[in-house]
Amino acid sequence: MSPGVLDIDLWRLSLALVFSLLAGGCSIALKLGLGRDILIGTVRTIAQLFLMGWVLGIVFAVESPWLVLGLFLAMAGAAAHTARGRVHESAVHFAWPMYASMAAVYLVVTVTVTGAIVHAEPWWKPQYFLPIGGMVLGNSMNSVALALDRLFSDLRARAAVVEMRLCLGADAAEASADVLRTAVRAGMIPSINSMMAVGLVSIPGMMTGQILGGSDPSQAIRYQIVVMLMIVGATALGSTLLTLIIRRRCFGPGDRPLLR
Amino acid sequence: MSHLALAAVSFAHQAAPGSPVPKGKACPPRPILDNADLSVPRGAFVLLTGPSGAGKSTLLRLFCRLEEPQTGQVLLDGQPVDTLPPAQLRRRVSYLQQTPAVIPGSVRENLLLPFSFKAASGQERPDDAALTALMDSLAAGDIPLDQEASTLSVGQRQRLCLARALLTRPEALLLDEPTSALDPESAAAVLGAAESFCLDQGGTVILVSHAEFAPARVTPVPYVLSGGQLRAGRLP
Repeated sequence: MSPGVLDIDLWRLSLALVFSLLAGGCSIALKLGLGRDILIGTVRTIAQLFLMGWVLGIVFAVESPWLVLGLFLAMAGAAAHTARGRVHESAVHFAWPMYASMAAVYLVVTVTVTGAIVHAEPWWKPQYFLPIGGMVLGNSMNSVALALDRLFSDLRARAAVVEMRLCLGADAAEASADVLRTAVRAGMIPSINSMMAVGLVSIPGMMTGQILGGSDPSQAIRYQIVVMLMIVGATALGSTLLTLIIRRRCFGPGDRPLLR
Repeated sequence: MSHLALAAVSFAHQAAPGSPVPKGKACPPRPILDNADLSVPRGAFVLLTGPSGAGKSTLLRLFCRLEEPQTGQVLLDGQPVDTLPPAQLRRRVSYLQQTPAVIPGSVRENLLLPFSFKAASGQERPDDAALTALMDSLAAGDIPLDQEASTLSVGQRQRLCLARALLTRPEALLLDEPTSALDPESAAAVLGAAESFCLDQGGTVILVSHAEFAPARVTPVPYVLSGGQLRAGRLP
């Protein structure tokens, strides 16, 4: 048993399946048609987390910065792929710029947190870098998807006004400035809202983990404050940079709007 | 030399990249313009007619680079439009959309919108007296400059949009069915301003019109666009 945390053996872990069975029972009783999704979700949760635990075990043991960065970039790729799947727009190619800017922005934010605030030695120490990086990616993925979805839908919905501004001598950035603002706002609002509710509605994930691990709650809240502020900064930076880059791709040569 | 010209221009709407093509429907797109030539001298008033969907709006949009031809050249004063900075081109050749678009804010804010862009840096903003005089010339002088633009009728909006376009001091006006949704009084004001722009200021006008157009002062040069072919027409 690790100090400060109670181990869960496999037998007791399997008892947690009762909750999945409960959810499946509801689905059957109320004919919700969610039985298959609950089954797949349960299997995927178990398999993905066991895989993650196995990979993290290796990464923690090897302690190579390249392996840590490689895993971080793979996680960023998965986040970008997931966010890409939530945005339904085929007239603009945005997968690669999305991946590149997500990886770059969130790498900078994570390095800042582990190196300058947490003072991990070295800054890429996997026990700090990967969980913090994962939190940045997981939260920002939603904000990026929301911002891009809003950008594309508003450029289509407000095409007449964008075109009108172009016809009066605006460039693409001037013609779509209000659309960009609305998109970035849409991306940022969920993380700002979560700052309002944190500590009142729930004890957030990182803090929960530290308290379960036996940490002093006064230290656990400090980590959680860093995480909350980091997520707000990362979503602002990620949404802004990405919408700026991808808005440019929504206009062709001569600032011709491609979305109408 | 022509002021506005098309040289062997062909255009067809392309499917957006990545958009799915239904099975068995991968036929080439219908041409809007097929090897079209047009020469409009400075100060001319061109009346462009044709059936619905013939591509009259597309032809206007080619001149301000809201569309790009697949082949051929679109020329302004003999210079290909794709060699000009887009903002400069669109201030020289002003395209007025069929449905008037306004931004949230007052009539004054809408009229001064073109002066908020980088392309207008260094240009002096007209004062309220100049704005009122311009609106008056479009029979819209009774609209207070402080009125919210979104509360205007379609006819008033169209006159506001035309006034706003004229404030950028264009060389040419491209009017896309500007009177299609207007009451007779608004329609007369808009067409009168277009005629005045042509006759008094020496500007070039291309007017796309579906309805019968009875000019008061100009003798338009008629063209018909149909089935991808652009040819000289006859006045009614």
